[in-house]
Amino acid sequence: MSKEEMFKELADAVISCKKDAVDAAVEKARSEGIEPAEIIEKGLAAGMNEVGIMFERGKLFLPHVMLAAGAMESGVTILEADMPKDTASKKLGVIVNGTVEGDVHDIGKSIVSTMLQSAGFEVHDIGRDVPLQDFIDKIKETNADMVGLSALMTTTLPGQKAVIEMLKEQGLRDNIKVMVGGAPATENWAKKIGADCYAENASEAVAKAKELLV
Amino acid sequence: MGMPIAHIMTSGMSGIRAAGDLVARMEFSKSMRIGEAKEYVAKKLDVSTIDLSDEYVMREIREDLGIGVITSVAGAPKGIAAKMNIEKLLDIKINSCERFRKQIA
Amino acid sequence: MTTEYTTRMGDGQRIFMTREQILADLKEGMADATDLGEIPDLSEDELDKLVDIIAMPARMVGVEPGKEVPVTHDIGTIRIDGDQGNSGVGIPSSRLVGVMMHERAFGADTMELGHIDYSYKPVKPVISNEQQTMEVCQQNTIVPLLYGAMPNLGLYYTPDGPFENPGDLMKAFKIDEARASIEGAAKHATRDITWIMQKMMASGADGINFDTIGAAGDGDMFASLHAIEALRKEFPDIYIEAGMAGELTLGLHGDLQYDGKVLAGMWPHQQAEVVSKAGANIFGPVVNTNTSRSAAWNLGRAVTFVKAAVKASSIPCHVNMGMGVGGIPMFETPTIDAVSRASKAMVEVAGVDGI
Repeated sequence: MSKEEMFKELADAVISCKKDAVDAAVEKARSEGIEPAEIIEKGLAAGMNEVGIMFERGKLFLPHVMLAAGAMESGVTILEADMPKDTASKKLGVIVNGTVEGDVHDIGKSIVSTMLQSAGFEVHDIGRDVPLQDFIDKIKETNADMVGLSALMTTTLPGQKAVIEMLKEQGLRDNIKVMVGGAPATENWAKKIGADCYAENASEAVAKAKELLV
Repeated sequence: MGMPIAHIMTSGMSGIRAAGDLVARMEFSKSMRIGEAKEYVAKKLDVSTIDLSDEYVMREIREDLGIGVITSVAGAPKGIAAKMNIEKLLDIKINSCERFRKQIA
Repeated sequence: MTTEYTTRMGDGQRIFMTREQILADLKEGMADATDLGEIPDLSEDELDKLVDIIAMPARMVGVEPGKEVPVTHDIGTIRIDGDQGNSGVGIPSSRLVGVMMHERAFGADTMELGHIDYSYKPVKPVISNEQQTMEVCQQNTIVPLLYGAMPNLGLYYTPDGPFENPGDLMKAFKIDEARASIEGAAKHATRDITWIMQKMMASGADGINFDTIGAAGDGDMFASLHAIEALRKEFPDIYIEAGMAGELTLGLHGDLQYDGKVLAGMWPHQQAEVVSKAGANIFGPVVNTNTSRSAAWNLGRAVTFVKAAVKASSIPCHVNMGMGVGGIPMFETPTIDAVSRASKAMVEVAGVDGI
């Protein structure tokens, strides 16, 4: 079996959402002598990426995304034994994600958290209607690389701007990327308030987080 | 707030200014598609379907039939009274009229 | 020099495009819809018509005489008095005044009574007030007057409701528990909506508007379909409008079915079928606006989805065309040029039965 075929088998195993299939494909790839980093990047992560696309296209659903993520995690655990200690279990980045104060909308933000987590980020979802200072506190506590600020109402949108101002005031802005999203947020709004990116949906959030952090 | 007014101006049937409420009632009460609903109402009113959105045509018809107009014509049926006349015109039952009848029975 | 026409981005800002650029964006938006929904392309004539509509040299456009359709303003009764900071205008008045202004001054074809929180669950503690208002409104209005709100399954999850948040459970890989939570919440929502409408029908309501079905995923739709079914059974003549939250039914549960069909992953033409089967009179397809794309791209996409739904549906389709849906820019005060063009396109190209 060629390397490309092996990567496809690994990706397909993730897409099947079956842990046993992923474990078997990983063991097979190991026995073929493929580097763990390649197995993860070109096989498992590629499969997870496809799962994200299928979710956006309505072909797979949130439970499948989580099952696929769980299966991938199991495969990565097998590979950790072959990897240098400092690279094993390394996440793509740490992201604090939440819906700003005054806004009780939870579901869209929650889907974004799930997709980011599934894509390999360490995600700290701090919920909805989050007091703005809590974003700052969590960023400090987790030494986050990115903060995701969600708002579903025009009335709560200014909360995104306020968090950015607070980051500046506390000298944290240069060390963290800011992503904004939610129905009333736009690319122009993101530029206006000095966010690093705007994401239209969950898969775009994953793509932009990877662009900025990986 | 201005957005629905823009829709009404662009595409709407003008409600009780013309015959929009009547066509809507047939869509809702009998699940008629727009073409069928317009045909049905036009036949009942003995007008063409294009007349249903024509305020000039419908103003007089509405007053004559007692099915409600936007101006305060003294003594003309309004509210439930106008809807009772709509029931007869369109051969349908309207819930608020049914409730009203039960209350006075 | 090539002529450029004033048009809009999905966030409302003014841009200039040539006819060729407009057509290219319309085609790209259409292709996105046909690819996702596995539905047919618009014809060349329809695309040309959309280009003409967008490029019309007038601030406001209108449908051809004779092609008008019923237009409603859901939640309109509280748009005069209500001020949620994004759509109400906060002019002190009552809901009766709101409905009468829409009927007599604005020319609305149907109306809806709703309350300021606009979800079904919080209606329960204020049901008597809602009944009283419905009775007063029914005595004074002529157009069909529905009661409307959002099914909003989110209110049944912690911290707002008794069921654990399925999003949190899912993130902790507790998938079975998350699904059980969604199923439990759906049962409660069905019961609440049915109970509320029993009361509102006793007060003379013409019927019910389900606003934003599926906003909380497939469980939200499951609850709504069962409420529609129960209401149709109890009130054979009730008017039922089933308006969606988006073009895709998000699969948070993934396995919920209605009439043997999996709800998750449904596109508008598929949603129309189950909504009709449950007993609704009117289907309200929704296609969300992408703020990073042009009005042409959004309109091409929205008209393609809605046209397929209109064709597949056995009941009238009233497309949702509020802020940020149906090709309307996502902006608090959507520009009249964009609104009237999207409106005309939906009537004349998608063939909707109402708005």
